[in-house]
Amino acid sequence: MGRPKALLPFDGKPLIAHLVQRLSQRFSDIVVVAAQDQTLPSLPVTLVHDAVAYQGPVGGIYYGLRAIRGTAAFVTSCDVPFLQLPFIDYLVSQLNHHGRDYDVVVPVWQDRLQPLHAVYRRSVVPHLQEQLAAQRLRPVYLYDTVPTRKVSPAEIERFDPEGMSFLNMNTQADYQAALAQWRTLSVPISCTVELFGVARLTARTSRVPLTLSAEATLGDALTVLGVECPALLGSVLSADEAGHASLQSGYTCNINGQDFVRDAHTRLRAGDSLLILSSDAGG
Amino acid sequence: MYGFHGRLLRIDLTTQSYTWQDIESSRLTAVLGGVGLGASLLYDHAPPGVEPFSADNPLIFTSAPLVGTGLTTTAKYAVVTKSPLTGFIADSLSSSFFALELKRLGVDALVITGAAEQPTYLLITDDGAEFRTASHLTGLSAQETEERIRHAVRTEEEAEVRVAAIGRAGENLVRFATLSNEGRHAGRGGVGAVFGAKRLKAVALRGRCRVAVADTGAVEKIATTLRERSVGPQTAKYREIGTVANLAVFDRLGSLPTYNFQNTPFAQAEALSGESFITNSFSQTHGCAACTIRCERLFRSLNGEAQRLEYETLFALGPLCGIEEPDAVLRAARLCDRYGLDTISTGGTIAWATECADKGLWPELRETGLSFGNAEAILALLPDIAHRQGVGAILAEGSRLAATRIGAEAEGFAMHVKGMELPGYEPRSLKTMALGLAVSPRGACHNRSGAYEADFSGQVDRLQADAGRGALVAASEDFSAVLDSLIVCKFLRKCFDDFYADTAHLMSAVTGWNYTATDLKQVGERINTLKKLFNMREGWRPEDDWLPPRLLTEPLSSGVAQGVSLTPDELRLMIQSYYAARGWNEEGLVREEKKRELGL
Ligand code: SF4
Repeated sequence: MGRPKALLPFDGKPLIAHLVQRLSQRFSDIVVVAAQDQTLPSLPVTLVHDAVAYQGPVGGIYYGLRAIRGTAAFVTSCDVPFLQLPFIDYLVSQLNHHGRDYDVVVPVWQDRLQPLHAVYRRSVVPHLQEQLAAQRLRPVYLYDTVPTRKVSPAEIERFDPEGMSFLNMNTQADYQAALAQWRTLSVPISCTVELFGVARLTARTSRVPLTLSAEATLGDALTVLGVECPALLGSVLSADEAGHASLQSGYTCNINGQDFVRDAHTRLRAGDSLLILSSDAGG
Repeated sequence: MYGFHGRLLRIDLTTQSYTWQDIESSRLTAVLGGVGLGASLLYDHAPPGVEPFSADNPLIFTSAPLVGTGLTTTAKYAVVTKSPLTGFIADSLSSSFFALELKRLGVDALVITGAAEQPTYLLITDDGAEFRTASHLTGLSAQETEERIRHAVRTEEEAEVRVAAIGRAGENLVRFATLSNEGRHAGRGGVGAVFGAKRLKAVALRGRCRVAVADTGAVEKIATTLRERSVGPQTAKYREIGTVANLAVFDRLGSLPTYNFQNTPFAQAEALSGESFITNSFSQTHGCAACTIRCERLFRSLNGEAQRLEYETLFALGPLCGIEEPDAVLRAARLCDRYGLDTISTGGTIAWATECADKGLWPELRETGLSFGNAEAILALLPDIAHRQGVGAILAEGSRLAATRIGAEAEGFAMHVKGMELPGYEPRSLKTMALGLAVSPRGACHNRSGAYEADFSGQVDRLQADAGRGALVAASEDFSAVLDSLIVCKFLRKCFDDFYADTAHLMSAVTGWNYTATDLKQVGERINTLKKLFNMREGWRPEDDWLPPRLLTEPLSSGVAQGVSLTPDELRLMIQSYYAARGWNEEGLVREEKKRELGL
């Protein structure tokens, strides 16, 4: 494609700059692992280089984890333009699942493990070192060795129905398609909140139109709803210190009359109707 | 004994006599009170195959261990008999001061058999029963009867009584007549008609017994917690709007039946929504005695009168009959209350008749002008049903029996299960509820299980059927059986942390007997199995656990559930999964091992 994939321009900026900007909304410590001879634009990251070239993903994960300050890291390649923060949050949360601790959380998408969109504890570094020494360069060896939580497609679809997180670019055509997708995603979407019962009486309206960012989640919509209808805060909605709103117990949300959702990370689509109703329907 | 009294009063209307009988404590631990004790006594006191309108059909009132303890929402009683509408068990609940007075009589149950020669009312005290003439009360509404009796006893004997009574529909044996007290109704299954068959107009109670609990401190602590939670966000819907809040939500979710279950949604749902009623015509908030939720709402009619309205009444006398005007629904509700007609069965039977009229299947209906949305024609039918006059004499039989008179085509859209008209939950878009309605022992019922909760919570895909539903419905029925036997109002159900553990703790504190969560779960299963055993004895066949043909042949044609259907195979699959979850055989019959396991 004529230049390193991390440097392909989107909106006139190299892709890696977008990735770092997005990840910095969640992470304060970002490590970039570059090839020995690679030059990158100046970024607010810790930059490390492969000590030995051509060791594949295991090498990159190994050098990256060695450089992190914390105990675990989300690892991604640099050619994925559509990372989804709520999904990454979910992966991180799965390091402990049903009271069990895991060293790796890795999604399975289209029947394939996604080692370069996964969460690793720093404690796996010695295992990776052994693997590299033995020239076992496939990440799956690690998953057979340490407690690994595999995240199913059904779980992924709750956050990322089309698997955009895993979309990478290998050809010029891939790049062009990604650019087109990038443009549609920068257009805001319109959704409508339909209020029922106590929520309707409290807000004194039955419908609230919302304009949201293209990647808005249920949590984002509720936060905007709290701004549009402050009367709902304290009775139907609660807001945390950062101003993020969520539904109080006793209320639930249904999207388009079809799916009941409570997970704040649920992605919304243009034209969605969010029904806010009592969680005690019936009776 | 704590929590219970350990005895019942048996009253014979034919011989005008009564006796006290002990109730074994083993029976009380096994089935608690309320519907559980009612089902157990019905099984023993009803002669097998008894005709619902015969003198031998017992009319059983039961109290329950939590009644009178001061716990919020527990002022309730059950009335149990063999239903003239279904031929199976009828177990209805009602509430308020009558329930508290029943407990103060010092009995856990009244078992009334026989039939009086003349219109009679019973005055029951802790000394026994008095048989009084009710000739002067004939034709009065339940409310008027209640007022007259209370006034008479107050002026003549300087005493207060609490009264449950029937109206004209009960006197005339309308198969879906109610029993009412203080504006509350034991609505479903036709208990009011069994009163009528016994020429019993009312029961008046005056008791002096105090309710003792084993551990007052523990009960008070639980009572405080529940009282606090009962005014939290979990019950906001009931406290702020009442059950009428369901209408707009159900409509939006494709679950509001309209035009005799021909379709959803309803074009005028907004005007009939609970939110609109609250905004436009709210009059008063009421609640049962000892309730901190107070879910009842009264709305003002155009003529200024206040009328109590619940979702089921609103659905059945509104969208189900195509009625769009809020005031027409209030007027119809008032007439039903006045005559003592169950609003769901009334709306269901009239909606069926309206479709007969539409299709020209019942020529006599032509002169009534009956058509969907014609409020005046529908209102005019209500007195006819209550008086059993004109076409009303046939409608008074309920949609199942009425349809057999009109013909096979009309039977295809008589929307009942076991003879009881369906409540306002569209089974095609609520598949768990579809199963709950099909297998419920008392017919199409939304109260003896909360199967719809799985559909409305996203726990399952409500538009699809699968073999996981049997276990959900069985669990929901068992949960409801325990609620209805303790008795706690179902609107308090979300205020428990762990329902079985919490109520086991509560029951231990009230009775001094040691209950565990596992015991109470088994109590729920035992009660539902007992009801099934009663129904089997009274002639239940596998085809009785089924849904009306319309629901199994016509997909929904609009709304969010457009195109959604329910096939006979899907229903069969769910029913089999229910029998399997219950440990019954494939035909739905209770096995001997199961009876032994449950001590039945
Ligand atoms: S919540 Fe409603 S039905 Fe239940 S006890 Fe209170 S007033 Fe009665």
